[in-house]
Amino acid sequence: MTQASTTAAAAALPRPPQWGIGRYDLAGRPVYFEVSWDDWQRDTAWARGMLAGHGVGAVKGDGELGGGLVIIGGMAESPWFDPFETAARELGAPYSIGEIYAFEAFRTGMYARRLPVTMIFGIDRTVAEGLGDELAEVVARVPVIVARPDAAGLLAAAGAAPFIVTRLGPAIAVECPHRSGAHVNGAEWTLTQAERGGEVLISTVGPRAHRVSQAATGLRGTLTEGRCGCGRTGQRVTITG
Amino acid sequence: MPDDRFFEPELETMPRAGIAALQEERILELVPYVYERSALVRKKWEEARVKPSDINSLADFTERVPFITKDDIRQFRDQARDPFGGLLCTGYADTTTVFSTSGTTGDATLYAHAWDRWHPFWAATARDLWEIGVRPGDYVLGSGFKMRGPLYHADQMCGAIPVLVNTGIGGWDAALDAIRRFRPVYAQLTGLALAELDHLSRSHDMRELFSSFKGAAFAGEPLGARARQQLRDWGVEVFVWTSTGDVTGAWECRQHDGCHAWEDCVLLEAVDPAGSAQVADGELGELVATSLDNPVTPMVRFRSDDIIRMTRQPCACGRTHARFWPVGRKGDETIVAGRCFVPMDIWRALEQVPQTSTALFQLVRPAREIDELKIRVGYDPDTTTSLPDLRDRVSEVIAAVVGVPPVLELLPEQELLTRGRGGKLPRLVKS
Repeated sequence: MTQASTTAAAAALPRPPQWGIGRYDLAGRPVYFEVSWDDWQRDTAWARGMLAGHGVGAVKGDGELGGGLVIIGGMAESPWFDPFETAARELGAPYSIGEIYAFEAFRTGMYARRLPVTMIFGIDRTVAEGLGDELAEVVARVPVIVARPDAAGLLAAAGAAPFIVTRLGPAIAVECPHRSGAHVNGAEWTLTQAERGGEVLISTVGPRAHRVSQAATGLRGTLTEGRCGCGRTGQRVTITG
Repeated sequence: MPDDRFFEPELETMPRAGIAALQEERILELVPYVYERSALVRKKWEEARVKPSDINSLADFTERVPFITKDDIRQFRDQARDPFGGLLCTGYADTTTVFSTSGTTGDATLYAHAWDRWHPFWAATARDLWEIGVRPGDYVLGSGFKMRGPLYHADQMCGAIPVLVNTGIGGWDAALDAIRRFRPVYAQLTGLALAELDHLSRSHDMRELFSSFKGAAFAGEPLGARARQQLRDWGVEVFVWTSTGDVTGAWECRQHDGCHAWEDCVLLEAVDPAGSAQVADGELGELVATSLDNPVTPMVRFRSDDIIRMTRQPCACGRTHARFWPVGRKGDETIVAGRCFVPMDIWRALEQVPQTSTALFQLVRPAREIDELKIRVGYDPDTTTSLPDLRDRVSEVIAAVVGVPPVLELLPEQELLTRGRGGKLPRLVKS
């Protein structure tokens, strides 16, 4: 079959260590960052734990519908979101992709309306606004919504109690069901706070291809240490602006 | 094992008899499989009084198996309240991804795959990128939309490194920075991207920027003559690709002599757009596709509405799989005041006026026959000094092509671009 033959051909090729290159902005200047295949595998393992914590897993029942995800992220956000897509696949949960454009919001609404979606992951303000009157219907249908900070207010007004996912420079932070701030992967990153203004700064601690030290994220927030109700012990961040 | 030219040399250059034998084997496996599992297939076959036992060869299949249209899928979906329109052959639990068609020509329909490593829609695309010249260690601009899944899987299958930057609307200024920095060999372009690059070319040396490119792909809609020339002027070899009835992609090779369909992945037919007979090699026909490698939502004799010319003659590149040339969409012909035209006629007219040369337009067409030629046209506000003057010039070129004076709604390009979907602007809209 085509899938099998092309996969075999691909496997015969030399593979560079880089999974891909991403970009984030720091004080209006672009920062390109390398993600290695090893980074990507560890990010995927962490994402698997975060999704599983929200109940994402194989759909139960023979022929019954239930348990799909819509993951909302643009192509350029793949260094942050691909690990969650891969994690959904590894957990056996069917997923669809929504784009972060207003004109593509209809697709997120369509998936939520037609499929038994139990989680929307990554919805931002653009898509939430783009859904218009359909937002309340989407919120009523989908039990778990993990939203970007800029969409949280809009979603709450529509009746949701969203969890938070946010990009932090080259990293990502995701809130667990215990709502005690968004977890970062402490094996890879550590957060500090700028003395003035409360801006969240990020440093690499894991064996990553991209290394930063006290890099500004452009986000203000409060940091929480100590054990979370989910059992994780790493840092959590609550974005305030 | 890939060689200098082909990603899968044996498969890509397989003799026609081998392709036919492989297709027959897969079709004879597919027939009982879909009859048992696809509710829409069973309904259509029962209506046509066709049973799996009637199909014992490829010829039986193309002679007897009924067609499925997108309207059939939508109707089944709505009547049976089945989100997959009767196409799903597995449990929902067995799917990995559920994606949807672009939705530019109506409401989008769902399709699904089960996969483990690389997304199946893009798996065969690795052959096409290899042909463009993408090689291990190359940087490529990981551009495009994600609604059909991670296109960068094809990049990674070739051993390339995708540079994932925003190439959506408004993103190309930043993308040019990434091109300058990483010197990628390939990018994916759309009509909307070209409109943006056209503006950026006034302040950037595009020839220098694109000098690292081995090629760029273009898809989503026809490539206008002006845009093709512009890419040539920038030194970019453009490879047009299109969809084969939502089964997989078909891309031009370096010969640029038609789009190669991968016939181990899709059974391709060209049939009389108004009937069911196969048309001769090279004649205009409607693309009909059958999935040979998707056990989840296989299309079975799906009438795509795409009008093509197809040949099974080997290509000068050495590949033996069928090639086709997209001509347009069935039903694109519009009649106004007794005169017939297609959207490409408007396209060519707008390319003649500098302020509308990106050919961003929408034909407002509530029905195939219209009383009034109402067209929404995007213009470049930076170079437009007088809207009444622009209106006169645009009216003149359109009237010259269609033979009927248009009723124009002129909008700044950026405003019109917000009506795009999935990387393209719907050219025919009802209002």
